[in-house]
Amino acid sequence: MSVLRLGYVHARVTDMAEAKRHYGDTMGLYPMLEEQGRVYYKGWDEYDHHSLVLEEGGVGLVKLGYKVADPADIELYEKRAEQFGCLVERMSTGENREVGDGIRIVLPSDHVVELYHEMTLVGTEVGTHNPDVFPRHLVGVGAPRIDHALITAEDPGLADRFFREVLGFYATERVATSLDDDAQIIGSWLSTSNTPHDIAVIGGPNGKLHHFAFQLADWSDIKRAGGLFAMDDVPVDVGPTQHGITRGETIYYFDPSGNRNEVFSGGYLAFPDRPTVTWTVDELAKGIFYIGRELNDRFTSVLT
Amino acid sequence: MPTVRVQPDVVVELRAEETVLEGLYRHGYAYRTGCRRGGCGVCKVDLVSGTVRYTRVISQAVLTDEERASGTCLTCRAVPLDDVTIALREEELSRNPLLAFLCGASPSTRPPSQRATGRPTPSIPELPRGDEQR
Ligand code: FES
Ligand SMILES: [Fe+2]
Repeated sequence: MSVLRLGYVHARVTDMAEAKRHYGDTMGLYPMLEEQGRVYYKGWDEYDHHSLVLEEGGVGLVKLGYKVADPADIELYEKRAEQFGCLVERMSTGENREVGDGIRIVLPSDHVVELYHEMTLVGTEVGTHNPDVFPRHLVGVGAPRIDHALITAEDPGLADRFFREVLGFYATERVATSLDDDAQIIGSWLSTSNTPHDIAVIGGPNGKLHHFAFQLADWSDIKRAGGLFAMDDVPVDVGPTQHGITRGETIYYFDPSGNRNEVFSGGYLAFPDRPTVTWTVDELAKGIFYIGRELNDRFTSVLT
Repeated sequence: MPTVRVQPDVVVELRAEETVLEGLYRHGYAYRTGCRRGGCGVCKVDLVSGTVRYTRVISQAVLTDEERASGTCLTCRAVPLDDVTIALREEELSRNPLLAFLCGASPSTRPPSQRATGRPTPSIPELPRGDEQR
């Protein structure tokens, strides 16, 4: 029983034509379906039908979808979420295009998380028989996959508990007001796989998105993505640099609606028995941006 | 072309279709901004006089109709229709000294970036030919 990974991010965009240029031409995601004002994308190394859904109208996050390993898991997560005090609702096959039935949970922080076990398997361009190591005609950044999302919550400690106690995630790193046992958690990075985080939560208003991230292979791909951002006039927030937290390499930038994106690579291999790293607030800037050790205003205040 | 006055006395001239923020940036002025894409609301100022128009869709969650009506201006998206005066909110305009110096000298012109559009259609500029006879 487990949650496998972040399966999809469903976000709002103000202008679909511009969004398509960004996610299709600059990020190089594959457009999989366009229907009723929604566009569905996937990265080249993702087997399921989509990992990003864009919806025209507004900005910010609609919901996050996490894929579970076993269909029987869903009932258990449903029970646990209800016990935790969350609003839980069943969702049926087809409510989300190409996604099977599952549940929809409203977190204490007002974010919506969906759990599902099935999404149409479409495969990748390189296939599964003697595959080449990448598709020949990638476009732009050519992002292979979605990686994680960072959301904000008034009570990040409670969100940390939700992901651990209900969904079985483990905390790889936390930012706390002190090293004492009764310290308050003001940020938490949680994994359900072997990547350093599949979700992260920091203190802020409920229901908001800080960013969602695409995984790239390595540092030189991050630099190359930066070059494409310059060519396509994509506003960069911070980077390229390295995180202290997760040790990942990064650029933060904005999509044409002002939603923050990240390209992320590297980071350590994580396991559930890994002791949780704690960062104190006075070292937060180093935790987030290890090299520059400075948090700009924009990074902490811009949310959608 | 319309001008933007930032209270009390900074005035810059805009180019056609330029937003308030782009115009001020181009002249070396800076203030607190966020996404620069109309999504976060960090770049809001008070529109004291003049009119602006929004050439792109703005989310109600970022700028409500009431805010528009009562003189809030989302500067990264607002294109002035005539001379406008704005007032920053609890903040002072800063100026990059190098740009300030250079702006006095000559306006920069940057060609619009060539955007990628889907799958590549390679076009390689013709190289000067060598002596064909060789
Ligand atoms: S800077 Fe984000 S809305 Fe203008
Ligand atoms: Fe991130």
